[in-house]
Amino acid sequence: MRLPIMAGLATAAVALTLYPLFREGAWFWTGMGAVLVVAVVSVLTTRPGVPRWLGPPLELVGLGLYLAVVFAPEAAWGWLVPTTDTLVALAGLLGEGFADIQRYAAPVPSNPGITLLTAGGVGLIAVLVDLLAVRLRRAALAGLPLLALFTVPAAVMTDPLGWPAFILGALGFVGLLAADGRERLSTWGRAVLVRRTRGAGTAGASGRGENTPISLSGKRIGVAAIALAVGLPALVPTLAPNPLFGFGVGSGNGEGGNTITIPDPIASLRGQLTRNGNDTVLTYGNSDNVPRYLRMYSLDTFDGDRWTMSQPKGRPQNSVAEGPLPPPPGLSPDVPVKEVTTRLQVSDAVENLSFLPLPYPANTVRVDGDWRADETTLMVFSTHDTAGGQDYEVGQREPTPTPELLGELRGDPVEDVAARYLDLPADLPPQIRFLSERLVSGTDTPYQAAVKLQNWFTSSGGFTYSLQTQGNGSQALLEFLSNKTGYCEQFAAAMAVMARTLRIPARVAIGYTGGTFLDGVWRVRTHDLHAWPELYFQGVGWLRFEPTPSGGLGQATAQVPDYSRPPVEVTGTQGPSAGPTPGPDSTGLSDPLNPSRAPRDPDANLPSTPVVVDTGTPVAAKIGIGLLVLLLIGLVPALGRVVARHRRGRVWAHAVPAEVTDARAGSAEVTAVRLGRAVHGTWRELIDTLHDLGLGHELSETPRALARRLVERHELDAEAAAAVTRIAWAEERLRYARTPGEIPSLKGDLRVARRALRAVVSRGRRLRATLLPASTLLRLRRAGESMLDGFDRLENIRLWPRRDRAEGPAEPAEEPRVLTGSRR
Amino acid sequence: MGITHDVGQELGGLVATAHRIGEAIESVIEGKRDVVRLTLTVLLAEGHLLIEDVPGVGKTMLAKALARSIDCPVRRVQFTPDLLPSDITGVSAFNQQTREFEFKPGPVFANIVVGDEINRASPKTQSALLECMEEHQVTVDGTTYRLDTPFMVIATQNPIEMEGTYPLPEAQRDRFTARIAMGYPEPAAELEMLDVHGASSPLDKLEPVATTAEVRALIDAVRAVYVSQPIKKYAIDMVTATRRSPDLRLGASPRATLHLVRAARAHAALAGRDYVIPDDLQDLAVPVLAHRLLPSLEAQGQRRRPEQVIADLVRRVPVPESREGGADGAGPAR
Repeated sequence: MRLPIMAGLATAAVALTLYPLFREGAWFWTGMGAVLVVAVVSVLTTRPGVPRWLGPPLELVGLGLYLAVVFAPEAAWGWLVPTTDTLVALAGLLGEGFADIQRYAAPVPSNPGITLLTAGGVGLIAVLVDLLAVRLRRAALAGLPLLALFTVPAAVMTDPLGWPAFILGALGFVGLLAADGRERLSTWGRAVLVRRTRGAGTAGASGRGENTPISLSGKRIGVAAIALAVGLPALVPTLAPNPLFGFGVGSGNGEGGNTITIPDPIASLRGQLTRNGNDTVLTYGNSDNVPRYLRMYSLDTFDGDRWTMSQPKGRPQNSVAEGPLPPPPGLSPDVPVKEVTTRLQVSDAVENLSFLPLPYPANTVRVDGDWRADETTLMVFSTHDTAGGQDYEVGQREPTPTPELLGELRGDPVEDVAARYLDLPADLPPQIRFLSERLVSGTDTPYQAAVKLQNWFTSSGGFTYSLQTQGNGSQALLEFLSNKTGYCEQFAAAMAVMARTLRIPARVAIGYTGGTFLDGVWRVRTHDLHAWPELYFQGVGWLRFEPTPSGGLGQATAQVPDYSRPPVEVTGTQGPSAGPTPGPDSTGLSDPLNPSRAPRDPDANLPSTPVVVDTGTPVAAKIGIGLLVLLLIGLVPALGRVVARHRRGRVWAHAVPAEVTDARAGSAEVTAVRLGRAVHGTWRELIDTLHDLGLGHELSETPRALARRLVERHELDAEAAAAVTRIAWAEERLRYARTPGEIPSLKGDLRVARRALRAVVSRGRRLRATLLPASTLLRLRRAGESMLDGFDRLENIRLWPRRDRAEGPAEPAEEPRVLTGSRR
Repeated sequence: MGITHDVGQELGGLVATAHRIGEAIESVIEGKRDVVRLTLTVLLAEGHLLIEDVPGVGKTMLAKALARSIDCPVRRVQFTPDLLPSDITGVSAFNQQTREFEFKPGPVFANIVVGDEINRASPKTQSALLECMEEHQVTVDGTTYRLDTPFMVIATQNPIEMEGTYPLPEAQRDRFTARIAMGYPEPAAELEMLDVHGASSPLDKLEPVATTAEVRALIDAVRAVYVSQPIKKYAIDMVTATRRSPDLRLGASPRATLHLVRAARAHAALAGRDYVIPDDLQDLAVPVLAHRLLPSLEAQGQRRRPEQVIADLVRRVPVPESREGGADGAGPAR
């Protein structure tokens, strides 16, 4: 009975960790319902007389019924009995769910498809856990499906899971193990009820006696393991932020050595842009002080549903440490280039970024670690290093084509570029093709078509920027083109798709915009994450375009490249100075007449206070700081002890001797209370001193007995003996006498007693008593014990009243005996 | 403060009187200060004492010495298998002259009753003592007679199962406040005993050192000794521990709690204190509780005697640390 319930609770606890994946809470109740159904069926089928194998199939049937009733009641006969229509409806919903999951980045909305997927998945896990833990009695193995469920949020979310979520899941699993252990012991034929006996009126004292239950140590180990797993990483000062559940670069064996896990860059894009915080991701400075887009990923494949990246190939000879990167594809030598050097510092807080943000096209990259360049896209990535905390230098030979030069390019792209970057799915809605052809009518070179396309997006098309849109598949793009509302994801994807329909090779780049100039460096933040199309022109290679609106109503720091500005004579809308000038973004600072090109002030969206960037502390200093922090933490108990001693001493100043100096009754009472506090404080101080010095004090030792022991065993001199006896006597009177009577100040006595006691122990003991006072740890231990007591109480909560057994003496219900092992 | 002061004066007198009685007894029983002190404690707590030991260690001598040092009626009953209940309580006899039934009081009508070898009598006779011990009264032929105060039964018994003995039933054992064992005397004390007892019995020379009225006043003073709330709770914790101990088949009764606290009062008063402290209870736990307990089979198997179990429990039950009771490890002045 207990085991199926615990199995359900464990699944439910782990399922709770899915919360960061969803925007609303609707999935939760549906998922819990699935777990509940499985648990109820399991409880019913574990009754004696029911065949053991029958449970899981019945649970599956129950789960199916539940899902049918919840998700497709209208298709069911009498809202309950599923029909073929129900199956069709569920299958349809499932399909929707899968599609939605592909489309959205977490947190996803709880629409029916996704909720069905979640509830079904959680329910299946519950059945698996039940099968392993209840039917096969392999509770430990049941951790595997639980772990699988647990890894879902860990794998999907970029942020590490919160520690409360981990504790919850771990406690669920420990509870399952404990329940299994209990049932196992109970099959031995003895009542196993776990109860630690401690404190007043109980026999087992502090659990150290012969009654120490095995299960208690099990629970202690479980709790300690969880506490360690959570507490240790938080306490240990690490040199690099190392989250509990970091993920990212894997290290399996694959083609050409290590492979890397490719995150879905598009999926995380929206998540990053809608985040509340806007942290600095990286800073850079370059030789000409012009902002440049920093690309990380290049998405080359469009399959109709979304843009994805094919596996980058980093051959050993393409290691950036080996020399210059491969030449940018398609760039002919007669295009003028500009040598630029950029120095970038990526923040320490960036985790598991295995692609370097780089300006395109990079020529040389000087960076620590094993970084490889992909030959065709010039992405630079690593299988085991992360860009977080990196400080690297990029040399660049940036092509600076003029619009005139671009306008003359008419050559067809080379074979492999055309094959890879012109590919479109066969079912691409024809409207998109018609639209793009209509838009670029009247242009005769690919470049002119591209500029016209970009202009349509940024100004003439009437698009608005909004982060509320989702998706970049064909349908989503169609919607985007008609609603004309979206953000960089849709703009970039749409322009790239439309360019491909016009036979211009195109791909989507993901990275950061040039950021904001602040305190002498270019500062790139989370909200600068961006997607943009790159178009290929035979002779110049890949060029960046910017269809997304910029400024306060768009992507704040987006900038249209100079070479893509429509020539004056074509549009006639721009001022003369907006005419093309050589070099992308090259006039960002030097062209005062163009307001849109001026270095951007910290935008209204951005916090006005500059964000401090960790410029990096030397490792030795970090170790030193860590040690210092550890030392300080270590000294906290000693400090607390000193403070407590002084506080106890100070109380005597207010504790006037008990003689009633004031006629008012109230004041006499106050004096008595103060006196009591002072005497108790002195007594506690004496006891703490004993604990610190390792002289010990049992809870069953009376003040008188303690004084006698100290005086006799440690042969205290007459003065110290009198002092200890006086303190004990005062405490005794205060506790047990009708009125405490007159008690003189014990401050001096305490001093004498402490000195005498310190004299009887070794120097090492004294030092330890000062630096690592055991009394403070004792308090900690008591807190831990009361926590364990709480667990015991939880353990003893009865769901059903215990049946009275006819035989044997009536045992008090609240005091189960602990029986472990065999009769001696 | 006034009350404390008065009690203090009374206590001073009490301690002096008790000291006199103690010395008188000790002049007969050498080297048994603890036993003598416990005997006095039971007397002042208005309880009854069971002395259990092998023959010849001075059980009867102790009882007689106490009886003789107080100037009060003392009766001694030698329990034998053929002793009848009426031999203890008394009988109604027909008076030929007055032609009426007349009550002839038995040996219980005394301030101190010494029951020698109590386990030799039949259970029927033993139980005749029950009513007297608990309720300080005797009922014969429907008439109830009050017994005098102080009333104390000092019973002796042999621990070894001998022929013709009936073990005391649990109910009767529970009525004794304390049980003590005399133990063999120290060699030095034994030597002295040879010297002193060789010529004549020191009992003969023993003169009463206190009167009944004095003892009554002492008992009244003991009743005024203060028992704080935490101490009461501590006593309850202690007996509760015996009820929960897996080593014991039968724990201590609520009567045991009452006896424990009463004895603790007397113990405190004998120490010249007008309030009870945990030390009193700890000192008395074994003599007051041990004879009422039945060890479990497991404890018997391990040859653990109830005395050891009690001593262990005393070491485990935390003493109350504040006036409100409760053993909070921190204390209020943290």
